[in-house]
Amino acid sequence: MVRGGGAVQVVRPADLAQAHEAMASSTAAGQLVSIRAGGTKQDWGPPLAPAPDLVVDTTGLDALVAHNAGDLTAVVGAGMALSRLQERLAGAGQWLALDPPSQPRGATVGGLLATGEAGPRRHRYGSLRDLVIGVTMVLPDGTVARSGGQVIKNVAGYDLAKLLCGSQGTLALVTEVSLRLHPLDAHSATVRIPATPTEATPLVVGLLAAPVVASALDWAGGALWVRIEGSAGGVRSQVEEVRSLAAEGSAPSAVLEGEEEARAWEELARIEAGEEGDTLAVATSLPSQLAEVAEASDRAAGEVGVAADLVSRAGLGLHTARLRAEDLGAHAGFISAWRRAVQRLGGTVVVRRHPPGLEEVADLLGPPPSAVEVMGRVKDQMDPGHRLGRGRFSPWWL
Amino acid sequence: MGALEEVKAELARVLPPDAVVTDPAELATYSCDGLAGYRTTPGLVVLPTSTEGVASAVRACSARGVPFVARGSGTGLSGGALPHAEGVLIVLSRMRRILEVDPVNQRMVVEPGVTNLAMSKAVAAHHLYYAPDPSSQVVCSVGGNVAENSGGAHCLKYGFTTHHVLGLEVVLPDGSVVELGGRTLDPPGYDLRGVFVGSEGTLGIATRVTVRLLRLPEAVATLVADFPDPSTAGEAVSGIIASGIVPAAVEMLDNLAIQACEAATGAGYSLDAGAALVVELDGPREECLGRFGEVEAICRGAGATRVRVAGSEDERALIWKGRKAAFAAMGRLSPGYFVQDGVIPRTALGPVLARIAHLASEAGLRVANVFHAGDGNLHPLVLYDPDRPGEPERAEELATRIVELCVDAGGSITGEHGVGVDKACSMPKMFSEDDLAVMARVRAAFDPAGICNPGKVFPTPRLCGEVIGPYRPHPLELAGVAERW
Ligand SMILES: Cc1cc2nc3c(=O)[nH]c(=O)nc-3n(C[C@H](O)[C@H](O)[C@H](O)COP(=O)(O)OP(=O)(O)OC[C@H]3O[C@@H](n4cnc5c(N)ncnc54)[C@H](O)[C@@H]3O)c2cc1C
Repeated sequence: MVRGGGAVQVVRPADLAQAHEAMASSTAAGQLVSIRAGGTKQDWGPPLAPAPDLVVDTTGLDALVAHNAGDLTAVVGAGMALSRLQERLAGAGQWLALDPPSQPRGATVGGLLATGEAGPRRHRYGSLRDLVIGVTMVLPDGTVARSGGQVIKNVAGYDLAKLLCGSQGTLALVTEVSLRLHPLDAHSATVRIPATPTEATPLVVGLLAAPVVASALDWAGGALWVRIEGSAGGVRSQVEEVRSLAAEGSAPSAVLEGEEEARAWEELARIEAGEEGDTLAVATSLPSQLAEVAEASDRAAGEVGVAADLVSRAGLGLHTARLRAEDLGAHAGFISAWRRAVQRLGGTVVVRRHPPGLEEVADLLGPPPSAVEVMGRVKDQMDPGHRLGRGRFSPWWL
Repeated sequence: MGALEEVKAELARVLPPDAVVTDPAELATYSCDGLAGYRTTPGLVVLPTSTEGVASAVRACSARGVPFVARGSGTGLSGGALPHAEGVLIVLSRMRRILEVDPVNQRMVVEPGVTNLAMSKAVAAHHLYYAPDPSSQVVCSVGGNVAENSGGAHCLKYGFTTHHVLGLEVVLPDGSVVELGGRTLDPPGYDLRGVFVGSEGTLGIATRVTVRLLRLPEAVATLVADFPDPSTAGEAVSGIIASGIVPAAVEMLDNLAIQACEAATGAGYSLDAGAALVVELDGPREECLGRFGEVEAICRGAGATRVRVAGSEDERALIWKGRKAAFAAMGRLSPGYFVQDGVIPRTALGPVLARIAHLASEAGLRVANVFHAGDGNLHPLVLYDPDRPGEPERAEELATRIVELCVDAGGSITGEHGVGVDKACSMPKMFSEDDLAVMARVRAAFDPAGICNPGKVFPTPRLCGEVIGPYRPHPLELAGVAERW
């Protein structure tokens, strides 16, 4: 990474003081700064532009500062890899209820917070936004600030952790995160129900209305996947209930457990994570609009001649389309066609991962929301020089 | 004509006559919220019935730099809706229409004045409900819930307002109207809805709220277990958590609280118990009832002297009636009392209660404790006699020392009642100057002129005196690498 002939400087702070030092000195030098952790999502969204002068690598901030098992809380360095955190927590029968597709590739807690990425179990537990109870951050000018705390219930002061969730590393460097944990369930089973999106939609609606508590409710690869977790008896009876609901319509369902179940979810996560060169676009809708969103994706893909694989968080109305053809024009065509259709349904389409250059031919973020001006003012307040993650929300602001 | 007079004249023109209150006697009825110790008669009260009406009022204020304060049902317990003498109180209680119910997608759109319970009632026929259930739910408004990020007894499992609000229509302090969040998840851009929830009316006025609804659980099981003392009851809670159960609710009452609740409701709590634990599980029948058996066994194993399982929906309701009456019931034990609201890490309960008892005996006062034992939210009730000289002051001081104690134990100065005016001066106990300055920056992005509910949340020299609270080390100093800076 080279800009204007000068090499990019990389710092890897080992503690808050060094993080403060790095940010404060970047102010004096007027450097453009970007934050990097696991590096699994640097190709998400609009690219950094121009390239940063300073990259802050957070992987040195990787301590498990505290695990208060009895309080169901933990405090971790932002650079800690999620998979390593999960290993540490598992000893106490707990976990951070988050299973993002990028976890096996080394995603960190801070990176997940900044990008808002979550996985299938978001259906039951929400995303990191719903699990974070406090943050320590360093602003681009070096100011160190905290919000929230270390207790699950707390309404003192503004909840700035929420603001940082999904901020794509453009407001502050997160150094430490306090988290709410959940117990690991003893038993798990997944019901696989073969169904087209059109067949799956009434099932999704039916499952939402049923007293079943699913951990995940995804549509992908020609099937609806319903994961149930809990005690042995609870899983058994709910699996039966799901199967009997499914029996009313479609092809026979299968129940996956153990290794087979784990492999099936890993496979779905691989599709959702994509590979280098792929474009991943995420559409939002109401859960009942699954069939329409999927149909719109097929149509858009057909029009421009690409293959689009869809992974839908069906119960939540979040749909990831993965495009593989390395034809930027086709990707751009798909995005605008799909977005037009999804907007008519009341949703949005945003591009996550994409090959370099797509930003030149496609609108990655779509139309700005009505609150774009306040968002811009929040950015101005936190980072007046717009030095942090410049480009990530282009063209909404610098 | 003064600025406020100009606002009055303009609003008299644009709002219907019955939406503008200027009569001094009527104005005085709005002088406080649920925290009656702070009172200010508002300069003007308006009761708009639409977003446009709210926006007109805000624009009129904004044009002249006149402060305004939103008010929902006025049940707030931190003085958040305390009016401004030279400002406008914008009351949302006439905006109480349910605009849309989408049972299929489990969403609902309401105006801010709709009461918390009215939302759940409106969707009960679809087997749905709105999860956050503050004890004040019959009266408090969803707009107030949004501002306070309110929670109820069930928030360990189901979360707070912030987990259930998907979208907000907000009138910003300059009078413009924007959407924060939306009907679908993950709208692009910063999560301003996340900051707005819990901002105590300092970032704008919510005029429309989109919430998600939950499916009513198939089964609910509730028990009351008696223990010799709160510490032992705390052990039982630890046992429940350690066995991987997340109860829908765990509430604890100490003996003094039990006395008051029984006197008021006759709900059947044991008067001789040192502590009572209410544990509720809910969910799919098998899952719920199977694990409920474990909870019962854990309570007995931890030393429960009596376990009473609610055998019917009526009995369950009665148990909750007793618990929810706790604050109001305290009047039967004492002519005056302060309700405190602090949070501790749940596992610190034993030492914190011992410390509270010690402080109470030093002050020669009684303290009753009601505790959301799952999430660590402690409600000590400090009892005093208003007629004894010096006692109210001593009680207030004790209440303040108790929240400081919560912070020292790693907790928070407030779990649900908010900061408002009441605890603004305690904010420096929890947050450094820089922490507060960064929050103030966010505030400035929404409200550069500082006219939206001024004097709340943030400590000011006017409110707190020049020296704001004792010094607390900054994280950098704790890390041993920076001096005070
Ligand atoms: C007996 C009793 C029990 C309680 N129990 C609980 C409990 O269990 N859990 C809990 O969390 N709280 C509890 N509370 C506190 C209180 O009920 C909540 O804070 C509630 O959310 C306040 O709602 P309200 O409509 O009365 O708001 P108000 O008191 O009118 O206002 C509260 C704050 O919200 C702001 N506000 C109001 N409407 C809007 C709006 N539309 N847009 C922006 N800002 C607005 C006001 O400016 C003010 O700062 C209790 C209170 C009482 C009296």
